[in-house]
Amino acid sequence: MSSASSGFKLGEWIFTTDHKRIGVLYLIGSIAAFAVAGLMALLIRIEQSSPGPTIVSDAYTGGDQYNVWLYFHGAAMILGFLIPGLTGFAANYLLPLMIGAKDVAFPRINALSVWLFWAGIVVALLTFIVPDKPDVMWTGYPPYSITTAGNTALYVFTVHLMGFSSILAAVNFLVTIIYMRAPGMGWNQLNMFVWSCLTALIIQLIFVPVLAAAVTLLLFDRYLGTHFFDPANGGDVLLYQNLFWFYSHPAVYVIFLPAMGIFYEIFATMAKNPIFNYKAAVYGGMCFIVLISGEVWIHHLYYSGMPDWLRIGQMITTLMISVPVGLMTISLFGTLYKGAITFNVPMYYGTAALYLLLIGGLTGIPLAMTVMAVHLGETSFVHAHFHFIMGIFSTFAVFAAVDFWFPKIAGKMLNEKQGKLGFWFNFIGVNITFWPLFIIGVEGMPRRYWDYSQFPVHFGSYHKIATIGAFIVAIGMVLTISNWLISAIKGEKAPSNPWGSNSLEWTHTATPPGPGNFPTPVTVDANWTPYNYK
Amino acid sequence: MSNSTTGHNHAQAHHWETSAAPLLVVLGVLFAVVFCFVEWITYNNKMLAIICAGIGTPLLLAGIAKWTAEALTQKPVMEGLTPIALPIFIVSEVFIFMGLFVSYWTMRLSAGPNWPPAGTPTDMNLVLPIIMTVILVASSFTYHIAEIKSEQNNMGGFRLWLFLSIILGAIFLGCTAYEYNHLIHINFVPSTNAYSTAFYSITGFHASHVVVGLGSFLTVLIAALAGKTNKSLTFCVGLYWHFVDVVWFFVVSQVYYW
Repeated sequence: MSSASSGFKLGEWIFTTDHKRIGVLYLIGSIAAFAVAGLMALLIRIEQSSPGPTIVSDAYTGGDQYNVWLYFHGAAMILGFLIPGLTGFAANYLLPLMIGAKDVAFPRINALSVWLFWAGIVVALLTFIVPDKPDVMWTGYPPYSITTAGNTALYVFTVHLMGFSSILAAVNFLVTIIYMRAPGMGWNQLNMFVWSCLTALIIQLIFVPVLAAAVTLLLFDRYLGTHFFDPANGGDVLLYQNLFWFYSHPAVYVIFLPAMGIFYEIFATMAKNPIFNYKAAVYGGMCFIVLISGEVWIHHLYYSGMPDWLRIGQMITTLMISVPVGLMTISLFGTLYKGAITFNVPMYYGTAALYLLLIGGLTGIPLAMTVMAVHLGETSFVHAHFHFIMGIFSTFAVFAAVDFWFPKIAGKMLNEKQGKLGFWFNFIGVNITFWPLFIIGVEGMPRRYWDYSQFPVHFGSYHKIATIGAFIVAIGMVLTISNWLISAIKGEKAPSNPWGSNSLEWTHTATPPGPGNFPTPVTVDANWTPYNYK
Repeated sequence: MSNSTTGHNHAQAHHWETSAAPLLVVLGVLFAVVFCFVEWITYNNKMLAIICAGIGTPLLLAGIAKWTAEALTQKPVMEGLTPIALPIFIVSEVFIFMGLFVSYWTMRLSAGPNWPPAGTPTDMNLVLPIIMTVILVASSFTYHIAEIKSEQNNMGGFRLWLFLSIILGAIFLGCTAYEYNHLIHINFVPSTNAYSTAFYSITGFHASHVVVGLGSFLTVLIAALAGKTNKSLTFCVGLYWHFVDVVWFFVVSQVYYW
């Protein structure tokens, strides 16, 4: 079947409707967004390395420049990298292979999704060309987003394009998982990654439209003069925050769930163990998260004013999230129990993920508690917390996924040495970056400030350390990504199942898989599981 | 829709599947919607906006035409999934409308006794929405008859009743245009007050769904005139239309009569 794929044909790539190639297109797009958003992060860190203006042009307009960097960093990392990197790249490439299907249910819709995502990236990148750059964070809160001279329309359209892409992908994959599993494959025989995507996509299907509605109203308010978020004319600013977080809190789980799914696959394969407590992790963990994900968003509005009964109610539901997350973490950890663990690059990232889960999770608890939140809210403590649990954890998941399935995707082995070197730079770098921010956050360093010369002098030194950390991460990222590029060309040929996995994508397809995935239709029997290692 | 029957025919494909339609549609949307809007509204550069629309619209139409042709002639990966996918998509549509209605209810309930706000015409036309309801419900029925004709393999009847549905849908849009025109004349525009904000957003968003529904009717009609029908496509277009119909009940009861 490899005869069909000999040679590179551009038309076969840009017009492709094959889920594997679409997955690779997602990966290329999301890594591009990641690179540019990463550069923005470096600019932010350099600016913060001294209390006053550092690299902005002057003290009066510097804030505007800085806001543009913040905008692009946030919007591109979440909408352009994490979501498409996980439910775009990983889900596209792996889901049909894991369930034994020859493609997704609607290949053309799938191609539409990936190009809508690319269009979103194009619109986001226009930021650097237009004179009135968007400067509304990734949240786009009114009234600022309505009154700013920045081009809020570009923000809105980026969200629209990527949101519509997500909704179509969710419909497509839900139908695929429900109806196209190989004959004989029951719900308790699914890969954890399939379950994690199933649950994440349900969240995506239900909540993304609300974000689309919210930013549409923003567009109307800004350009058509309507009054949805205008208190002077009967509107309500908090309405936007509610609509926004009604989506954007569950969006955290759209990222978290597939990231966990990836680590489950890696842990089970590298420890040669079945998933510990499979049903508890799936039904008590993932499915429970779907149930309560829509009832906690108001904790993002703790400082916006609300009645006490609501505040306390939100505190309880928010803390409740640690139950399913705890179940999933224990199951992940337990999968290693008495395993003969192979420590390669994906497993390095997996082990680091356990640590990130711990630190990120524990620092989330004080933020959920209303009493503490008043003190810690809007400080760099929050900033460090969500970078640990959401930014770094999920980024490591994407990296681990690429490293783990690289032999399948490229047919070549990765350079293990460079991968490990990249990992250490990444891991040490993020710790140097974010621990100082935890500390000065507790002492009162606000988030998002570029000029903090009014604050204690030692904040500057801590920020300097964080900036050094950011550059160490940058080196790690370059090592990691260049490793993929170099190994894809020069790497040694991969065996068909280098990790000895029992999952369908390794056992039943060619490496790399050709058109139609499986040489013969797959059926599984009642005893088969992807984790049948004993 | 000539000889695009290659591919999807074998149980096991031996070449990479391709289709230019999705990329064409995305490029069309990018130019005709995004760039056109940004140039026209944000930068007030009407010339460039028209050029963008001029580039985007043919791309979009070509993409849709190619897509429809492929959908009608090629075998899907698995039969019978489209009628399952559309209701799932409609779930997300429901949530978009929920977002709009919740915004409206928020403004409405926080206004208390100060509703309707100053600037709202005292004599809103409440007869027209009833007429529009009758028209839209009628079009759902005519399409249902069209579906029955299609099941009986009566192509002539199918085309006729489909055509009638399109006419009714177009009359509905005409009513909206008439109503908007009248209201704008008496200076009730989107920026007038909180009610006009919700009124134009919700009815406008619904009307855009009517446009999409009519567009898909038109696509099915053109295919039917060329002698091609597809059972699941016919079903899905109808289901979408019924959904638009149901939403209209909420629009009428909440926006006009509350």
